[in-house]
Amino acid sequence: MSGFGEFARSQPLSLGVELELQLVSLRNFDLTRGATDLLASLVDDGRCGDIKLEITESMIEISTLPRDSIRDIASDLGGLIDVLQRHCRNNNIGLAGGGTHPFHHWPERRICPGERFDGIYHRYGYLAKQFTVFGQHVHIGCASPNDAIWLTQALGVHVPLFIAFSASSPFVDGVDSFFQSARLNAVSAFPLSGQCPPLEDWRDFIEHISFLQRCGIVSSIKDLYWDVRPKPEFGTVEIRVCDTPLDIVQACALTALAQSLARYLLRTRPALNTALQAHVARYNKFQACRYGFDAMISDPLAGCQRPLKLIAAEMLNTLAEDAAALECLPWLKHLERQVEQGGDAQWLRACREKSGNLNDVVRLATERLYSTRSIAEEGL
Amino acid sequence: MTETLLRWPRELWESLLERLFFLPPFPESIDSLALFSLLLVAGLLLGEWLHRHWGWPKVVGYVLAGILCGPSLLGWISIEALVQARPIADAALGLLMLEVGRRLDLGWWWRSRELLRSTGYDIGLSFLLIFLFSWLLIGLSPAWSAATAAVTMASAPAVVLLTIEEAKGQGQVSERILLHTAVGSAASFFAFTVVLGIVHAEHSNDWLNAAVHPLWVGVGAGLIAIAGAQLALGIAGRLVKGSLAQVFVLVASAMLAVGCARMLAVPVFLTLFLMGVMLAARDRRQSLRYTSLPEGHWLLAIVLFVIVGASLPWQEFGWLSLLQALALLAVRATAKILALLSAGGSLSRHKRLLVGVGIQPLSATAVFMVYELASLYPEVGGPALALPLFAAAIMELLGPVLCRWALRQAGESLEEGKGNIG
Repeated sequence: MSGFGEFARSQPLSLGVELELQLVSLRNFDLTRGATDLLASLVDDGRCGDIKLEITESMIEISTLPRDSIRDIASDLGGLIDVLQRHCRNNNIGLAGGGTHPFHHWPERRICPGERFDGIYHRYGYLAKQFTVFGQHVHIGCASPNDAIWLTQALGVHVPLFIAFSASSPFVDGVDSFFQSARLNAVSAFPLSGQCPPLEDWRDFIEHISFLQRCGIVSSIKDLYWDVRPKPEFGTVEIRVCDTPLDIVQACALTALAQSLARYLLRTRPALNTALQAHVARYNKFQACRYGFDAMISDPLAGCQRPLKLIAAEMLNTLAEDAAALECLPWLKHLERQVEQGGDAQWLRACREKSGNLNDVVRLATERLYSTRSIAEEGL
Repeated sequence: MTETLLRWPRELWESLLERLFFLPPFPESIDSLALFSLLLVAGLLLGEWLHRHWGWPKVVGYVLAGILCGPSLLGWISIEALVQARPIADAALGLLMLEVGRRLDLGWWWRSRELLRSTGYDIGLSFLLIFLFSWLLIGLSPAWSAATAAVTMASAPAVVLLTIEEAKGQGQVSERILLHTAVGSAASFFAFTVVLGIVHAEHSNDWLNAAVHPLWVGVGAGLIAIAGAQLALGIAGRLVKGSLAQVFVLVASAMLAVGCARMLAVPVFLTLFLMGVMLAARDRRQSLRYTSLPEGHWLLAIVLFVIVGASLPWQEFGWLSLLQALALLAVRATAKILALLSAGGSLSRHKRLLVGVGIQPLSATAVFMVYELASLYPEVGGPALALPLFAAAIMELLGPVLCRWALRQAGESLEEGKGNIG
């Protein structure tokens, strides 16, 4: 096993969510240093999950407990945001969603204390500070390691969908990037980011990781920043391409999409052509990041392009049965509206248009994160 | 010394004057702009040198440059030049106080019990212990003891602000040092206003002055502050947020308030601090919330600290006053650290201790308050207030170092070169 351990047992289609959130100064809404202070003063019983440090002091990560239903995930996220918000108020710090901070100056970021973060900083240099971007990771429980590898490959095809639904990072360095999700450009600078290579099964995966280990490229699975990757110690597959949404309702909706899609894929087991998909994966990902639902997605099997808007609408329709079985249908209806009306990236641009500055955009984002907490907890 | 240096050029000039009729008379005093640039360069050179070679806060270098060039040592800056440079010092102090006022987050302070407790303890203990020390141990009268306590009870807003800016301090220790400093300054200014009346009452039988002078200072500063803040917000609301035009409006309104305060003999530091608080509290549409002072405020700050350094009468301080001043600083430090440690709260004990160290500076506002008070009754005020003035003089050099040390220990300063890879 080359030190990667066994694939842990988990309930099939169970869920876990990690959200990386922005810590901002309430004076000017720029990112601020506050993560270690917050954690040092935190009193939490852990009944909703965990609150952890991330690479820089301006980030904080919340992660739910493993849950079977989206309702429980909503409740956990609401509880965690509540605890965090209380401590943030105590320390006069604001909390916001969004994939990037619109105007922070990355050289001013400070790396969090700890051996792991120190190692990343020494290994990747300034990229580590530029990695002050904020994502949502969704874990989906798998019955077996082979299922996990298959699901990893199958979900890889649908990466553009997750990018478009979660896109909330149009601004970088104080300017409009013209991207819907500019966050992933920061991630793609890392040498081990991108798509999971075509792998047949668990054995193939272990061989691949062992090979990378022998070549001195990786020491643990944490070194791989694949868009979708198996997480053996949790017994899950982790979707890592989503920007952190601006509110919990959207975070839950994305989780519901992931759960419904996973159920559909595992139930119908569509044929995969991973070798062909590998040729278009990067292009499709760029299209989704740049244009959101206006992207044109290449279909390597049909040899043509299709609008992502159409793919998204069809997919939501296809998933209706599985979503209903998982009580995810209201959340998917919430996503359906965004295909036409636009999501978080549009909302951020509208705020910029209205207020004329990015400080107010972050201020409104901090207000939005908290105001929707109860809606998520009560269900749509 | 200056006279000796100037004798030869003067003689040459006067001989030329007989032939070259367009020449003006030999300039007997330095032009204000030339003085400004000389102070700037002197402060800058020493500040940068100390910062680069010994890692000291630049403020220390500015003060040292003032001490070195001032009447106490080399005498390159004369007492007349200091009087001439006072408007620049007022403008610099005014802008810094405006910024400290703007950063006073009343909402955070009011809703946090631990902050209410720690600032309350800090204010109460500092005033009480310094008052008792001055009255019972030094033997000052109750009025001058109260004046000493009012002047020295708070931290130095300008020093703290510049030290945190220089270190790019971010985190709970930095934020709480700033909050403690701002709240402490507000309390100190209030005490100063009350003390004005007490001093009048002790030294003259003129009850009218005793009652009206504090009112004049307090109400006058308040009214100018409200008018200045309203003016700035009114104009800025019509401009693009964060634009250069807004920066100019902010600076121009502040300078107008400084001018009005000077005309009406109201303390500039108090007026501009209140204006900053008003700007933050009344800016409901966030018109000026994100507009920062231009980097140029450092330029004025350098001149301010050179002037403060030069205006300290080191030659008047003796060994006894040194011991008394050190004892006063020890009492003050004990009060502040005790206040922080006993207040409790969510911040760790170690970090609360660092906040206590970070709020030790004592500087420009204290010096200016001393001169305001001493000018009321110079024959008694001068000697009586030598103690806080000497304490401020010591802390001019020590305070920024302590504040910087606290930020470093808390891991909140962005050190130059630290974090380099390889």
